[in-house]
Amino acid sequence: MTTAKLQARPAPRPTAASGRRTSLASRVGLPVAVIALLVFTLFPVYWMISTALDPKAISRGSDVLPSGISFEHFTFVFEKGNFGTYLLNSALVGLATIVAAALLSLFAAIAVARFKFRFRTSVLIMILIVQMVPLEALVIPLFIQMRDYELLNSLLGLSIVYIALSLPFAIWTLRGFVATIPKEVEEAAYIDGASWFRMFRSVLLPLVGPGLVATSIFAFITAWNEFVFAYTFMKGSDKYTAAVGIYQFFGENSTSWGPVMASSTLVTVPVMIFFVIVHRKLGSGLAAGAVKG
Amino acid sequence: MSEVEFGTVKDATVVTDTLVAGGPEETPARRGPLKQDTGGAEAARRRKNLINLTRPWLLLAPSLVVLAGLLLWPLIQVGKLSLQDYAVKFGGGVGTYTGFDHYSDLLSSSLLWKTVLPNTVFFALACVGLTVALGTLVALLLNRLGATWRLICSIAILAAWAMPAVTGTYVWIWLFQPQDGMVSQIAGSIGLIDPETTNWFTERGPFYAIATLNVIHHGFPFVAITVLAGLMTIPKELYEAGELDGANAWQRFWNITVPTIKPVFLVVTILSTIWDFKVFTQIYLQPGGDGSNEEVYNLGVFSYIQAFAKNDYGAGAAAAVLLTLLLLLITIVYIRTLFRQGEEDL
Repeated sequence: MTTAKLQARPAPRPTAASGRRTSLASRVGLPVAVIALLVFTLFPVYWMISTALDPKAISRGSDVLPSGISFEHFTFVFEKGNFGTYLLNSALVGLATIVAAALLSLFAAIAVARFKFRFRTSVLIMILIVQMVPLEALVIPLFIQMRDYELLNSLLGLSIVYIALSLPFAIWTLRGFVATIPKEVEEAAYIDGASWFRMFRSVLLPLVGPGLVATSIFAFITAWNEFVFAYTFMKGSDKYTAAVGIYQFFGENSTSWGPVMASSTLVTVPVMIFFVIVHRKLGSGLAAGAVKG
Repeated sequence: MSEVEFGTVKDATVVTDTLVAGGPEETPARRGPLKQDTGGAEAARRRKNLINLTRPWLLLAPSLVVLAGLLLWPLIQVGKLSLQDYAVKFGGGVGTYTGFDHYSDLLSSSLLWKTVLPNTVFFALACVGLTVALGTLVALLLNRLGATWRLICSIAILAAWAMPAVTGTYVWIWLFQPQDGMVSQIAGSIGLIDPETTNWFTERGPFYAIATLNVIHHGFPFVAITVLAGLMTIPKELYEAGELDGANAWQRFWNITVPTIKPVFLVVTILSTIWDFKVFTQIYLQPGGDGSNEEVYNLGVFSYIQAFAKNDYGAGAAAAVLLTLLLLLITIVYIRTLFRQGEEDL
């Protein structure tokens, strides 16, 4: 694959006519397709960032270039929109989620990848099924539950929900990482006289580390992006997460798109950077898990 | 991106009984030499067995508690709630059982059959079809590119994938915003619409067209990356043989590519179906999607609005149960597909 640079695979027996046609089609077609792909994927991102930087965002219309570059919308969302608090709330909830989800999912992943026990398959199927449950079905009962425990409008209550939401995927993915560690490594530790917990600490944990980091970052993204629960649970404006906080810049009749796009940029860019970093590590897990929200 | 492992393809032909085989083996006592006297050995073995029996459950316990308490229990509750009239009184809610009233109301309402279900189903079908088609085309494109361009395109695709649903939706709203939005201005300047009077978000056709664009933009990267991983496992010889036989690109795609990585297509199609049936944020955040316009309800939004905007938790719960059952059906198909392929080595 590395040899073909923007050119089609040569046909083995090209007749003059068909050979010229494929090369012409691919010489024009491939670059056009690449450009179309890049425009479709990146244009919304570009439009978001350039509107955030455009001092005259509203009247920008269809100008591809912003009318100027200024950070006034960013200053506005931090000073008037209290967005720093929301970002902090999101970060706190995200951190609580990854710490708990990483720990719990690691234990569970070891259990299903390393032990054979009754109902193991049932547990795995249950984990697959629960990730398909629609959030709209959970938000009603969980709202009532959390209200009864007085955990509405609390970052702790929200974190607890996010831990549960990110667990199935984390277990499913980590299970793959644990399974790739050869058993012999563990057995060597036992032969050296290590107890199970010693083996866990000195052998399993370091080996599964990269997978754990990738899974944790994914749990963080889940919590950071989530909207329905944060929107339903958090009614005090000082408790908003960033994803919900953007909503306040929408007016009844007019929307100040500069601040909306500035705060959207602040929410989006960290996620994109993290995502590009961890994606390779999560490859196979992404196919099995419900990761799209 | 070639590191992306995708079991489906490798194991597509291996139909293993995954329910029985493939799990980790029960390991015999392996920790240190056993004591020589038989009584001690017996005791040690029993202890070992006990550990082997309890340790997995001890390790699983915290996760199971969380999942049971926050996912399974609420599901039971939502089922219970759908049979009740739930009213918020001082210090808590009071539910009175009404049997299947909410279900019969729901199933006999014309809103459900004329608006909510058609919106949900047609939107999901359009999204799934277009997402899989575009994702496959992009995968085929990536497969023909050289390393550098493939990396550039992959990063662009990941950026689209990583865009959070909330902020992505805001960008699409902004692009299609009446009067000020870029698309509105362009369409107005070439005379397609009258920008003063056109509002794409008030009618359900254009409303859902924009939502579809949004969901495709967010969803095709998963399909593209997964199908690409599948494409790279197809032996080149197959295509060379096809070319010798005089098959053109179209025939090679349908007769070689599709049958070889059919399992991949199945998985991405089913997963996309599950996701696109429960799209909520992208609809709810669009202007009018939060309940002010009944025309654009989908099942998720309908359930949410019944419960939280109209305080009719029972009716909302009934709609949520309906959605859950629908998804459960698709999920069962999905899990059966996984098992039949032997992809997941449970």
